[in-house]
Amino acid sequence: MQPERWQQVSGIFKSALALEPEKRVAYVAAQCGADESLRHDVERLIEAHQQANNDNFIDLPAVAEAAESLFSQDSEVKDRLEKEQRISHYRIIRKLGAGGMGEVYLAEDTQLDRTVALKILPTDVAFDKRRMQRFKQEAKLASSLNQPNILTIFEFGDIETLHFIACEYVDGTTLRDQLHDRKLKLPEIIDISIQVIAALDAAHEARIVHRDIKPENIMVRRRDRVVKVLDFGLAKLTEKTSGQSTASDTEANTELLVPTMPGTVIGTVKYMSPEQAQGLRVDERTDLWSIGVVIYEMVSGRVPFTGTTSSHTIVDILDKEPARLQSLGASVPPELERIVSKALAKNPDERYQTAKDMLIDLRNLKKRLELDLEIERSASPDLVTATTDKNLIPGTDSIEPRSTKVEPREGDRPARTKLVAGLALVLVLVAGLAIAAAWSRRRRETVVAPAPTASAASERKLSYWMTVQKYRNGQPFQDPFRLAGEINFEKDYRVRLNVSSSQAGYLYILNEGPASAGSTPSLVVLFPSTTANEGLSYLAENQRVEIPQQSWFQFDAEEGTEKLWLVFTANAVPELEAVKQFANLKDRGLIKDADLNTRVQKFLSAHAGAKPTIEKDDQLKQTSLSISQPVLIHAIKLEHH
Amino acid sequence: MMDPVRSPHEITQLLAEWSNGNQTALDKLYPLVYDELHRMANRYMKRERKDHTLQTTALINEAYVRLVEQKDVHWENRAHFFAISAQIMRRILIDHARRHAFAKRGGGAQKVSLDETAIVASGPASNILLLDEALNRLTQMDPRRGQVVELRYFGGLNNEEIAGVLKISENTVTRDWNMARAWLYQELSGSVA
Repeated sequence: MQPERWQQVSGIFKSALALEPEKRVAYVAAQCGADESLRHDVERLIEAHQQANNDNFIDLPAVAEAAESLFSQDSEVKDRLEKEQRISHYRIIRKLGAGGMGEVYLAEDTQLDRTVALKILPTDVAFDKRRMQRFKQEAKLASSLNQPNILTIFEFGDIETLHFIACEYVDGTTLRDQLHDRKLKLPEIIDISIQVIAALDAAHEARIVHRDIKPENIMVRRRDRVVKVLDFGLAKLTEKTSGQSTASDTEANTELLVPTMPGTVIGTVKYMSPEQAQGLRVDERTDLWSIGVVIYEMVSGRVPFTGTTSSHTIVDILDKEPARLQSLGASVPPELERIVSKALAKNPDERYQTAKDMLIDLRNLKKRLELDLEIERSASPDLVTATTDKNLIPGTDSIEPRSTKVEPREGDRPARTKLVAGLALVLVLVAGLAIAAAWSRRRRETVVAPAPTASAASERKLSYWMTVQKYRNGQPFQDPFRLAGEINFEKDYRVRLNVSSSQAGYLYILNEGPASAGSTPSLVVLFPSTTANEGLSYLAENQRVEIPQQSWFQFDAEEGTEKLWLVFTANAVPELEAVKQFANLKDRGLIKDADLNTRVQKFLSAHAGAKPTIEKDDQLKQTSLSISQPVLIHAIKLEHH
Repeated sequence: MMDPVRSPHEITQLLAEWSNGNQTALDKLYPLVYDELHRMANRYMKRERKDHTLQTTALINEAYVRLVEQKDVHWENRAHFFAISAQIMRRILIDHARRHAFAKRGGGAQKVSLDETAIVASGPASNILLLDEALNRLTQMDPRRGQVVELRYFGGLNNEEIAGVLKISENTVTRDWNMARAWLYQELSGSVA
C-alpha cells in the first residue's frame, strides 16, 4: 500500500470506528465516494478489526503466548536434535551431553568419514555477531596451535539461526565426572594439572586467555588419560563488555557476565579470579588462578571459595585465605601446597606470572615424587651407619614418630658392598623418607613472595639456628634443643639446620668435611636437595627451611671440624645451581665433577673474604647474618669429637 | 557490595547510548532483558491465561526498578527502558520461534523460506514469525503504529504506558492500535489460509 493510500484508509477507518457500528457503512461510503477500491480497503479493514476483536488477536503479549514453548520441558525436547538427523554434512549419532554452553552430540562427518563432537550453540548466545566473530577467531587460533591438550576444532557452521562447532571427539569423561566418581590419586592430580597448564602455556603464548577453566571444561580421555581442555575462546561469547569501554577497547576491558544467558549455566563464580569476579581487566594470570582452584578441588574434594550465593563466594574470593590443604586432612606434599597457594595469590603480581613457571614447578614435583618412590623402593636402613665418608651423615631416625613409619622394603635392598659410599645416598634416602612422611604432616610455615627487588639485592640477610638431638645407645636422649651458635658436638649428637630470611633469594648449603692433609676437601651439596624445599634453591621472603627436613644429620667417625657453607644470593649462582645434578641416587650429593668442584671452591674462596656481620641472639637462640653486597657467605663450624 | 551486572550507572549509560542511536548498547542490554523475560514467562506459566496485560507492565516496571536499583527513577529513562525492552523481547522471541520451527522441521539440512516454515510449522511460533514480518511492513509504511504494536505486543505495555513512551495521547494509542491490529490481522489471514 502506498503511504498516501495508507493515510487515506487509516483516516476513514479511524473516524468510522468512532461511530456506532450500524452507522459505519454509510459513513465509509460517503467518505470514499466513487473510489470503489478505497471503500473496499476500508471495509475489509473494519471487518478485520471485528474479527480480530472476536479472536482476541494479539491481545495477550507475545511473551504470554510463547511462555509455554519458551520454557516448557516439552519444547526443550522438541528442540533437541534426534538420531539420524542431519546438520550440514553431519549425521547425528547420539547426544553426548549438555555442556555449559549448548548441547553436544556425537555425529558422523559424512564427507570425511570420521566421528566428531558437534556442539550446538544456543541461538541466543550467538546473538551478538561481533562477539561471535571474536570467539571464532580465538577458538580457531587456539585449535591451530596443535597442542595435544587443546581440543581440535574442525569447523564452525551455521544453518539459519543454528550455530554449531564440529570438533575432535574425545572418548572420555570430564574432570567434573571424575571428581564425582572417586578421589583422584596424587600422581593423577599432578598429571592432569600438568596437561591443563601445558595447554594454557601454549594458548597464553598465542595471547589467548581461556577465562573459564573449571572441571567441566577439562576432558580426560579414557584410553590413555590424555587431558583435553575444551572451549578456548568460548568465554568470549558470554562475558559482558564494560559499558564504559569504547567499541575498540572491548577486547581489553572485559567484565564478568551474569549467568543468565539462555541455555547456559555459567552458574558458578567459584573458579573466577579476584580480578575476574570484580569485573576488572583480566590477563593470562586469571587462568592460573582458576587452575589453582581446580587443583585445590582435586586434592581436597572441595573448592577453596564457596558461599551460599555467588555474592558470598565472590567476597570469599576477594578476602578470604583458603584453608590449607593439609588442614583439610588432604595428604599433600608441601611443594604442591606451595604451588597451589602461589596460584591462588589474590594479587596477580604475586601469582605465577606465566603458565610456564607453574608448569616447571609441577614437572619438578612430579619428577621428585617419582624419584622418591624409586628410592623408597630401593632404600635400606643399613645405609645410615654404613658409611666411611668423613662428611656429615643424615640419620634416618627422626623425632617425629610418623617418619619412621615408612620402612624401606626388605626385598629391594641393594647389595651392601655398593652402599658403603656415603652421605649423598643417605641424603637422598632421607629425602624419600622425609617427603613420604611429610605428606600427611607438618604444613609449610611460609608463603611465597615475589622475587627480590633491586633494592633488596644490595644487601643480604640470613638467620639460622640448629636443632640438636642427643642420642644414647642409638636412641633419642632427652628433648631436642635449639642452639644459636656452635658448640662442641658429641659424636652421637644429631643436628638439623634451620634457615630463613626476611628477603627472598637463593640459598645453597654445602658441607665440607674435616680437611685431611694434602687433599682437596670434597664438597657435598646439602641444599638444594630433596630433603628440603623440594629441590629448589629459591627461598621466598620469610620462608623457613629445615635441612634435612624432619630428620637429622649425624656425624661420622671422622673427628674434626665440619663446615656448613651457607650461601645466600640475590641472583641464582650458575655453578651452585649446577651442583644440584649430583643430588641424586647415583652421585650421592658428592660433587664428582672435578672441574665443577674447583669452580665451586673458587666461588667460595672468592666471596668468603667478605665476612658478614654476625649477631647471635641468645634469647631467640638464633644467629643473624647480614652483609651489604648481593652475596652472603658464611661457614658454620661444627666441631665434633 | 559489588554486583557485577546490575550496575545502575551502566544501565543508565546503556540507555543513554541507545537513545543516541548506538545499537551496540542494545546488544549489551540483551542479557539483562532476557533475564526479565524469563521471569515474566515463568509467571505467565503459573497463572491463568487472560487478565495479564497489566501484569506485564507491572513486571517490566518492576524489572526496570530492580535493574537500576533506584526507587526514584526518571520517567525519561523508564520510557527508554520500556522501548528497548520491547525491542529486545521481540528479537528474543523471534529467535526462539525460528529455532523452534527449525527444530520441528527436523534439523533443517537445507534453507527454507519463511513462508514454507509457516506452512510446515503451524502454531504460535509460526504466527509470531509471520506477525514479525508483517509488522516490519507496517513499520515501513507507518513507523508510529508499528512501534505501538511492538511496545504492546512484544513489550507487553498497556496503552497508558505506550502513550508515555511515545509522548502521544492515550486515545491516539488506542486508535493506532486498532488500525494496526486490524491491518495485521488482515495480512496474516491473507498469507495463511
